[in-house]
Amino acid sequence: MIETKKHYDIPEEDVFLSGHFACPGCGEALAVRYVLNTMGPDTIAVVPPSCISIISGAQPYSSMKIPVYQTTLEASAASAAGIKRALIRQGKDHVNVLALAGDGGTYDIGFQALSGAAERNEDFVYVCLDNEGYMNTGAQKSGASPHLVNTAFTPGGKPTVKKNVVEIMAAHGIPYVATATTGFPDDLARKVAKARDMKGLRFIVVLTPCLAGWGVKDDEGVKVSRLAVDTGMWPLYEVEYGTKYTINRGPQGVPVMEYLKLQSRYRHLTPEMADELQRETDRAWELLQARATCVVSVSNAEPIP
Amino acid sequence: MSAQQTPVPTAWTTGWTTVFDTGTWRSQLPVHMWRPAPCFVSCPLGNEIPLWIRSITGGSEEDYKAAWDKVVENDPFPAIIGRVCHHPCETDCNRQALEQPVAINSLEQYLGDLALEKGWTLPPAGESQGKKVAVVGGGPAGLSCAYQLRRFGYDVTIFEARDTVGGLLKFGIPEYRLPQTVADAEIKRVLDLGIEVKAGEAIDTADKLEALRKSYDAVFLAIGAQKAKRLPYLGDDARILIGLDFLEDVSRGKDPVLGDKVAVIGGGSAAMDVARTLRRLGKTVQLIALEGRNELPAQEDEILEALEEGVSLFDGAMVASLDTSKPLMELSCKKVLLDKEALAKGEIKPIPLEGSDFKLEAHQIIVTIGQDPTLDGFDTVVATEGGMIKTNGGPAANVPGIFAGGDVATMDRYVSRAIGQGKEAARAIAAYLGHPEIVPLPDYTLDDAVARNEINPFYFPIAAREERGHTAVTKRLRSFADVKIGYSEGQALSEADRCMSCGTCVECDNCYIFCSDMAVKKAPEKEEHYIILEQYCKGCGLCAAECPRGCIIMKQESK
Ligand SMILES: Cc1cc2nc3c(=O)[nH]c(=O)nc-3n(C[C@H](O)[C@H](O)[C@H](O)COP(=O)(O)OP(=O)(O)OC[C@H]3O[C@@H](n4cnc5c(N)ncnc54)[C@H](O)[C@@H]3O)c2cc1C
Ligand SMILES: Cc1ncc(C[n+]2csc(CCOP(=O)(O)OP(=O)(O)O)c2C)c(N)n1
Ligand code: SF4
Ligand code: SF4
Ligand code: SF4
Ligand code: SF4
Ligand SMILES: [Mg+2]
Repeated sequence: MIETKKHYDIPEEDVFLSGHFACPGCGEALAVRYVLNTMGPDTIAVVPPSCISIISGAQPYSSMKIPVYQTTLEASAASAAGIKRALIRQGKDHVNVLALAGDGGTYDIGFQALSGAAERNEDFVYVCLDNEGYMNTGAQKSGASPHLVNTAFTPGGKPTVKKNVVEIMAAHGIPYVATATTGFPDDLARKVAKARDMKGLRFIVVLTPCLAGWGVKDDEGVKVSRLAVDTGMWPLYEVEYGTKYTINRGPQGVPVMEYLKLQSRYRHLTPEMADELQRETDRAWELLQARATCVVSVSNAEPIP
Repeated sequence: MSAQQTPVPTAWTTGWTTVFDTGTWRSQLPVHMWRPAPCFVSCPLGNEIPLWIRSITGGSEEDYKAAWDKVVENDPFPAIIGRVCHHPCETDCNRQALEQPVAINSLEQYLGDLALEKGWTLPPAGESQGKKVAVVGGGPAGLSCAYQLRRFGYDVTIFEARDTVGGLLKFGIPEYRLPQTVADAEIKRVLDLGIEVKAGEAIDTADKLEALRKSYDAVFLAIGAQKAKRLPYLGDDARILIGLDFLEDVSRGKDPVLGDKVAVIGGGSAAMDVARTLRRLGKTVQLIALEGRNELPAQEDEILEALEEGVSLFDGAMVASLDTSKPLMELSCKKVLLDKEALAKGEIKPIPLEGSDFKLEAHQIIVTIGQDPTLDGFDTVVATEGGMIKTNGGPAANVPGIFAGGDVATMDRYVSRAIGQGKEAARAIAAYLGHPEIVPLPDYTLDDAVARNEINPFYFPIAAREERGHTAVTKRLRSFADVKIGYSEGQALSEADRCMSCGTCVECDNCYIFCSDMAVKKAPEKEEHYIILEQYCKGCGLCAAECPRGCIIMKQESK
């Protein structure tokens, strides 16, 4: 399990730059820092429309000291796959390709391209920065928005549950799938480094609190992120080849209400609704543990050629 | 078209965002700063607790020595204070919000004992200032003042009425709480800095005081409060003794001739000491106190230890009259309640309860109800107030060149306060004598200190406090063995690890790690260790929120 850290020690390359246009205290920008500075300068990034594309720089200025290709919302995975194949053709296999997309561009609009790339086990790292909605366009609901949350499209609370993108991606049998969040930056950086040094499609979904969209105070994004983990709403875990589960940190006995009450997007919750979210969280955690303990030898799960 | 002439597509990057001043969005700016910890603010002698506890965590002998060096800047007696301090620092420790306060006092004992074992020495006296100071009274206040004055480079002579210095450390606080070997060793270490002691020389007349004033550049009065309060209405039977005299006799190895049954009157720490000493001499002890169990002025752990040792407590009671006609005196007692209004004003006004009379028998009665200073002779030279020497709020008396501290000048009668006032007096004397390096120390209150809600609990997992061992009661009753058993090295390390370093940056890098604008830069060469890049900082406050220990404050900016 990830323990409380007295000192973080995170090696960083100097890739992500100051002067970007993310909101003060932005969780997505913080995640971008550790993703880019871990991937290093030998990386080409692919960014679809999203807050990330704003953060990456107001043209013609860039906050990322690497080549960045701005693609369409549907095409991140296809663009990344194409760039990597071209690099291999040019004998530049050592260059990493990184797709950096929002949840809307991953769970929903870009999903077809992503699933196809996963099925072909294309060779790149795909990082989804999940702020649980289409935040760049005004906090509309996405497939990543959680159950009962208030969004511009679900004013009374979203009636359906959050899509479980981790299990969906793991079901493709790709080499690496992981969750992460900004409150545990060393865990995030470690996972990015691990993914960087593997081959095939590696997928990491990072929960990144959106202060404006979630109704969180400017200085509480990190606290909220940690509570997501410690309440069990966002367990930190890894799945290799669809079978080998490693849980890094699960719920720490903190009621989900502690997480929900710091966010005005949950202001409308009735006690019954909060209980329902607690039950769902408990159940999801039970399911995850069951999956994690159902051991399948990794050597049986051959990487897809 | 040649390659050079190909126009750059507008969608291509031509520069970096570092040219933008996102700092202009800001309305508040983080400032890294040292802030006082509440333990430090509450320590009467200004112990810089987070600093030396952090040194301990290093875990090597050099680290322990560095910690001890830090402690003795303010207190030359850590082994003594580590046993006898009432530790208000722990009462205000922020760790309390998580589970229990850090055992600061136990850590002091650990360092103090280690220093004695290793023979560590105090820093040598400072460069001579060519001036001399007389210290009257060699208790903790006088010794602390003399120590600091030596460090400032003054010649010091202590005039002590008794045959040896130490004050209540030697003749008040009993052996089982403060072994004399410990007290003697720490006192000797101070005297070894070149302090002259004139023992057996009481300064107890106006003439003697005036003579000192003439031949010394300054005088520090630290004669304590040595005149015991009495209960005249009980008469003057020879079997009625005074607690302080009794304790002094025992400490000098004189065996007081006593019957089996003794009554002790008083509810403070000194009364507990008398009662517990009597238990060690095999006596049956009846402790009679006006205050109820929860109002007793003695420290809670002393009361518990006294009860463990078999002292019979008659709390909320008074002796109404005494029959001395028989060998076994008869004490007619009444239960009382203390008048709440008077208590709020700090006065004791007992209201007897009807029909609550009871009788006790005793061969001796030992009255231990407090002390006053003996000021006869002095009050013609310096102003007095409330039976004490009047000071200016600090250590200066109303006559230039005369200073006072410790029990003679305060009702806050603790060893730590005496040491603290001795230190403050030395600074005031040095300033008065024109020492070139004296700068006034800032006076912090708890309002300035890092508050509990400024601690980020995520970084401090629950960790139980290490308790010192206690000598078994059976052994305690057979001897004057030290009641508190000092820490092992392992205990000291794990306890030191619990300190959160409130307000003292430990370069954990959290502020640096959590800034999404990379606006915190490491600057190990600077005192604050970090720089805020004002051009980029958007003022989100994350760095301050994620500082585990309140070392960053957000300063409002008006634009
Ligand atoms: C029994 C007892 C137990 C205590 N236990 C504790 C405890 O556990 N923890 C705690 O913090 N506090 C305790 N205290 C209080 C504490 O001991 C005092 O507050 C502290 O010793 C005061 O220091 P001081 O230097 O002002 O005076 P003292 O310690 O009283 O020293 C005064 C010195 O001046 C000398 N002197 C007196 N008159 C003259 C004169 N005219 N000329 C020259 N020298 C003179 C005396 O001989 C003595 O050496 C206790 C007090 C008592 C009585
Ligand atoms: C096909 C398509 N539909 C809609 C848009 C408009 N659009 C631009 S950014 C964005 C939001 C993307 O949300 P997400 O991927 O979650 O990223 P976020 O802004 O939350 O970081 C949308 C809907 C678009 N660019 N392309
Ligand atoms: S001297 Fe007393 S108050 Fe000061 S740090 Fe030590 S135990 Fe705490
Ligand atoms: S945790 Fe340490 S620094 Fe903070 S109040 Fe307690 S002893 Fe002092
Ligand atoms: S985290 Fe960074 S941007 Fe936010 S207040 Fe601190 S220095 Fe400024
Ligand atoms: S977060 Fe850590 S490094 Fe930064 S000021 Fe606080 S203690 Fe120092
Ligand atoms: Mg989004």
